Amino acid sequence: MKKEDIKQYFLTILQKEKDVSAGIAAIRTLMEILRKYSYKTIQGLDENLKMGVEAMQETNCPVAAINSGCELFRRFITFTKLDTETFDECKEIMLNRGHLFIKNLNEAKGKIAKRASQFIVDGSKVLTHSRSRVVLQTLKEAAKQNKQFEVFVTKSAPDNSGEKMCKDLKAANIPHTLILDSAVGYIMEQVDFVIVGAEAVVESGGVINKIGTYTMALCAKEMNRPFYVLTESFKFSRLFPLNQADLPDTYKYTPDMRKQDISKLNPLVDYTPPALITLLFTDLGILTPSAVSDELIKLYL
Amino acid sequence: MNQDKEKADQKVGGDGLTKKQRRALKVSAKTAGTSPNEILNNIHITNTKDIKKDVVFKSNENVKCPTQNKPQVVTVEKHFKSEPSEDKPSIDRTKNVDIKGELSKAEVRAQRRAIQEAQRLAKQQKTQEKIDKADEKKPQIVSKDKEKPKVEKKPKLKVAQKIIKPKETKVQLFSHLSVATKEKGSVVVEEVHPAFVRLGAQYASKTILGSNARCLALLSALKSLIESFESPPEQEFCRSLEVALQNCVNYLQIYRPIAVSMTNVLRYFKLVLAELKTNLQDIEKKNSLIKWIDDYMHDEIGKAGEAISMKVEGKISNGDTILTYGCSSLVLRILLEAHNKNKKQFRVIVVDANPLFEGKEMLRRLVNAGIECTYVLINAISFVMNKATKVLLGVHALLANGYVMSRIGTAQIALIAKTYSKPVLVCCETYKFCERVQTDSIVFNEIGDPNELIRPSEKKQADNVNAKLTHLNLMYDVTPPDLVTAVATELAILPCTSVPVILRIDLEKSKK
Repeated sequence: MKKEDIKQYFLTILQKEKDVSAGIAAIRTLMEILRKYSYKTIQGLDENLKMGVEAMQETNCPVAAINSGCELFRRFITFTKLDTETFDECKEIMLNRGHLFIKNLNEAKGKIAKRASQFIVDGSKVLTHSRSRVVLQTLKEAAKQNKQFEVFVTKSAPDNSGEKMCKDLKAANIPHTLILDSAVGYIMEQVDFVIVGAEAVVESGGVINKIGTYTMALCAKEMNRPFYVLTESFKFSRLFPLNQADLPDTYKYTPDMRKQDISKLNPLVDYTPPALITLLFTDLGILTPSAVSDELIKLYL
Repeated sequence: MNQDKEKADQKVGGDGLTKKQRRALKVSAKTAGTSPNEILNNIHITNTKDIKKDVVFKSNENVKCPTQNKPQVVTVEKHFKSEPSEDKPSIDRTKNVDIKGELSKAEVRAQRRAIQEAQRLAKQQKTQEKIDKADEKKPQIVSKDKEKPKVEKKPKLKVAQKIIKPKETKVQLFSHLSVATKEKGSVVVEEVHPAFVRLGAQYASKTILGSNARCLALLSALKSLIESFESPPEQEFCRSLEVALQNCVNYLQIYRPIAVSMTNVLRYFKLVLAELKTNLQDIEKKNSLIKWIDDYMHDEIGKAGEAISMKVEGKISNGDTILTYGCSSLVLRILLEAHNKNKKQFRVIVVDANPLFEGKEMLRRLVNAGIECTYVLINAISFVMNKATKVLLGVHALLANGYVMSRIGTAQIALIAKTYSKPVLVCCETYKFCERVQTDSIVFNEIGDPNELIRPSEKKQADNVNAKLTHLNLMYDVTPPDLVTAVATELAILPCTSVPVILRIDLEKSKK
């Protein structure tokens, strides 16, 4: 597959299936590359996969999820002993492992929703930021259990994804209020806890998420409200930002934005340090921030 | 009958000595219990050839020790081949043990009695002196002999160091910690390799300072020990080597407590020693042990430093101002490589503190490399901290609960950095990770020479008030993990709390 084809394939998945996150779409694209790969060497295949990742990074989608998802996928499919006779057998094994990986990913959201929905009790007031599929599913799960609760959603500039979240909540019949980004401090004293999603979870146990998450976490800390993060484990990435400035530019800006003078631009994501996070709900279990690095060491070392 | 007796003399005990040799050693140890002059006298009195031959007094010139009160070392060596390159003329005595004068039991007994008599006399004289000058410090040596006559109540007796301190100048809270003073009395040493004798002096004088440097020096001393080691007849090589090594390590501990990195190395080395195949020739064993040491030096310290340097270099961006404390060989390496190889533009603030002033060395090397530097003392830390963008620190040891043990003062730096919300990056090779758990600097620490805290110009004045004043010169402190943003190791940049995970992985690896 050529670069253009890869990009095209990746973007069509995202356009056609609204429910699929960029990370999963990227992994499915890699599977497609693997399936269509016609040469006979493992090394060539690896080169091809790397090229695929590069191609996807050039699209205007969030890079964080693509990076971590792809890295984990490449590691997972090559983790087996590939000492079979022919390359085709090898490929078969890899494809099987790939399917298993995607199957696990699809189940992840359900697991998280099940775990996190227990924390929502009758009469809770929940604050969330932007639009996250996992958060939405968790709220729906809680509503399905006939729990009475209210959700505050920030409008979340610049793409106003909070409005979309409100639409989804309306469809699920969950009481909700849209608030301004600047009203986070005002509303914090009313809410019981904060739930957000994540684009990536880094080695320190902190998260990279839509800009404004850090502000929300700081407010929650000041008001002593629990701050929960819901995230799939494929978003764990081997990155250790020391502060906001230390975040890579590829994470903060889209390729289009990077062509301009970035010093004048607003970043799309920020980094929330682990000290501000109460718990992370993942498909591996409910983790404290410090446990993230343990899981990462298990995955990569 | 006579032949039988000779045979009995030839019998070699567990420590590779004949009965007679042991006896001679005991006597020599006892004689060494008094001051060197008295020993000479004693020997003169007893007039036995043995003792003179066995006990060699190392004159102070033999041990390189720049301090004024040099430790007097009395060594009795047996199993080491002489090393031509060593600058110690005293090695010729290796043969001495074999040449044995014939001594009957009665003679030996008489000789012992004479020595005891002389000691008793000397002690009585000393007590008289003590009454006269109560304040005078005079380290004295306790003889190993348990039957030693108890003349009177003595000040606190320290068996481990075989030294009596007439006056304790210790802070009560830290009385469980040993003090490393330069004013050591003579020490009786058996079977210590010359490389370790020199190492001890270098540790004591702090010419070798810093966790990595001390560990590397230990490893090279260990190498020369192995090279010149010959196992005594009818003894297994590894066993006898372990005993010899333990002797040497005990000797080192007199001068400075063993660093955590050194403990880790010694533990691994003993593990390797235990697992060495027994069917090999001694020379093969030696070679494989030396190869292991070389590999360890290369991988765990050299390569690890390189990997850390690469990782941290990515965290240094152009225009940064990096604050560092004291002199860490690893931090120095990182900064130099970032400047020389990667042409990063950054400034360095070197913070320094009394009494070691290690930062001066750091400053000198950084300035030589052409890096723009600022040098301040720790008193000014809050003034310079807001100008820094990142804090880079070296480590003595990383503890299992994520606490960072480092040169005293590091915790302050980290605390101020936290207050100014500057990221604190700690650089540490994984071989310095330690299973110990500690939350304060009191339970385990090292006390340096209290005299270092007094300026030479104020020495006289200080002596006058010393009766009521005790100095405390702690060497290390612990920094809680919430003050540290990240630890840069050769595996990855990790949060402090991941230390137990790495330790667990190491343990699993070593089990395999």
